[in-house]
Parts: sequence; structure tokens; C-alpha cells
Amino acid sequence: MEIKLDGVEGSLVLIKQGAEARVFESTFVGRKSIIKERFSKKYRHPSLDSKLTLKRLNAEARCMTKARKLGVSTPVVYAADPLLHTLTFEFVEGPAVKDVLLEFGLQGIVEERLNDIATQIGDAIGKLHDGGLIHGDLTTSNMLVRNGTNQLVLIDFGLSFTSTLPEDKAVDLYVLERALLSMHSSCGNVMDKILAAYRKSSKQWCSTLNKLAQVRQRGRKRTMVG
Amino acid sequence: MKILEVSGTTLSLALFVDVTNSKELLDLMQAGTLDPEVALLNASLIPDVFPLLAAAHKTLIAKSRDSLTTRTLHSELVYNYSGSKHISESLKRCGISDNTSYILAARFGASADEMTSIKGLIKGAEIGLEELEVRANQAQIQKHYKISAPELKISSVSDAITCRIATRDAL
Repeated sequence: MEIKLDGVEGSLVLIKQGAEARVFESTFVGRKSIIKERFSKKYRHPSLDSKLTLKRLNAEARCMTKARKLGVSTPVVYAADPLLHTLTFEFVEGPAVKDVLLEFGLQGIVEERLNDIATQIGDAIGKLHDGGLIHGDLTTSNMLVRNGTNQLVLIDFGLSFTSTLPEDKAVDLYVLERALLSMHSSCGNVMDKILAAYRKSSKQWCSTLNKLAQVRQRGRKRTMVG
Repeated sequence: MKILEVSGTTLSLALFVDVTNSKELLDLMQAGTLDPEVALLNASLIPDVFPLLAAAHKTLIAKSRDSLTTRTLHSELVYNYSGSKHISESLKRCGISDNTSYILAARFGASADEMTSIKGLIKGAEIGLEELEVRANQAQIQKHYKISAPELKISSVSDAITCRIATRDAL
């Protein structure tokens, strides 16, 4: 019996390239899929590089599974390959929240749809935070709306980590607030709607939102003295 | 019977109910004399073929790298389907035991003759794979894969199992 040697099957089409990884479209045992490959950094020592890459790959897979367990929709992980440093995910059909909001900016807001999306965002973040999971990169391009069901799907858990500190949660929300402000100010105050939903979904909303007020004053980074 | 394609090879599946000789099959398998070699899975934990294909994909990659954790290719499939790192426990739960009557047989790259002899080995009635979904034991699946209630609200059981299989080594 013959077995193909590499772990990848089907054709690969590059969709996006970032600083840490490349994202391809492919097929996985008959289903459309996304492959995220963390490439090696040549400027790092090889053994350190492979250790770091693998650690981040595993952390991402772990955080996505944790998010699912908390009831937040994420793409199904189809495979994780520690040798090729790849993760294979379900291909989610649907636009990014970013594109939906940008279209609202151009074509006028569909109030009902906007409210639905904002509520789902707040609800999802609330669930993550109560479960002690910080997404780390909450932007509107890391949120998809599934075609047909309009279900919100969070992607890119590459910067996620676990923490129960109000500080980390507040910074998570603050990053989203800044992203919304710079990209989608034409949509009105979406953040207020998100925070309203967050308050309903998270049991620990009070300490987080207090912290958020402090973070707004000083920015994302804690001021370091000395 | 159904033949599916996984990373360049095939996976032939046949589903049986009312199997009466599972003890015999188990003894043959443990003696390593089951011929042809085949994976016999506890079908009540399989609601759909997709998670099994994900496990098969993982198995074939391990095989191509000579890094099988278990002794044979087909026991590796059973082990991978379990989504757990505990080998003997996996084989016990996702494989067959003395009195399993609902069995899914799977073989990589099987010829027609081999599948015929597999069907001869298993004393039961063959049914279509579309029965998997209705016959799956939901309670047992949720317990085995530790699938929480909030997760089931946003995902199908088969997707949840696929996630467990794929991320086992990352956890």
C-alpha cells in the first residue's frame, strides 16, 4: 500500500500572508478547508525557532477548543501537524464583520443586522472572558458571519491566552474599541451595543468595565516607571 | 459498504448490527491473526464518517513518518478516533469488547476480495452507513469526548468530535 508522504493534500491557494503565518485555501478529506502555516523565522536560532513555533501552534489549537467548550463558535479544527507547523480548519463561508460594517458605512446601516452582530460579539466575548480566555486580537476582521445562519464565528486565536485578570479582559475590549473607532466610526456607537451585550453575558462585567475606564485613560500598555 | 478517499489512499467501511462473534473477533485481533487486518470500531460512538476520516488522515500521516504510536496501522485508527492519549482505554472504548454487537469495520487500501473476507469474518447483518447518525449513542459520545452543553448549542456532535481528534496532541 502506498501512502503519500506529505501531510497536505489537494491544491493550495495562498489567501493571506502575515508576519507569523501564511493562510491557504485547500481541501481536507473532501471538505473545503483553510490551512494556517506558521513559517520559521530565519533570524532565530533553529532550535529556539521550532520550539516557539510549535508552542504557539499548540496554544492556538488549545484556545480554539477551549472557546468551543465555552459555547463560542470557532472554526472546526480538522488537523494539527507539529512537523509542518500547520493547522487545518473548516472553511467558514461568509463575510468578515469588517466588510459588513464597511458596507453599512457606504450603503447605509441596516439597524437590525447591526444590532444582531453587536449583540453576538458582546455575548461571545463575555463567554470567553468568564471562562478565563482572552482572545488577544479582537478586531472586526477576526470575526466572521456565517452565511445562512448569521452566526458569529471568531477566528485567529494566535494571540490568545488564559487569564482571569480584569486588566487583561479590559485590554482585550479596549483593542476592539480602538479598532471599531478607527475603522467603523460611520456605523455609530457599535461599542456601546457590544458592551451592553457583554454586561448581560458576563457575570464579572463590573470589574472588567471599571478597569476598561482606567485603560481608556492610559492606553493599552501599562505605564512603566524606571 | 462504502469506499472513501483519504490523502491518496482509500478507506473501505462496512457497518454491521447484531454481531454475535465479537469475542471471537477480539481474540483473533489480540493474537494478531485476524486476516486481513482490519479496524473494528464501536459504532455507537460514531455519528458520522467525517470524524473517522479526520482520524484516518492523522493515521496515514503518522504512518508515512513511521511514527505510529500503536502496533498496527488499523489499531492506530481506533486509537486516533478516541481523541484520548490513553491507548488501552481508547482501544477498549472505541474498539470492540466481548459483547459489542454494533460494529464498524474499516480497512485502508482494501481490495474487493479483502472486503468480502472481512464480511465473512463478521457474523452480523450489514446495514448502510446512513444509519450511523440515528444509531449513535449521544449520551455515551458526550461523556467520552467531554462535550459540554454550551458547545452543542453552537456545533454538531460530529464537528465537536473532529476537534477533539485533531487537537489531542496539542492539549
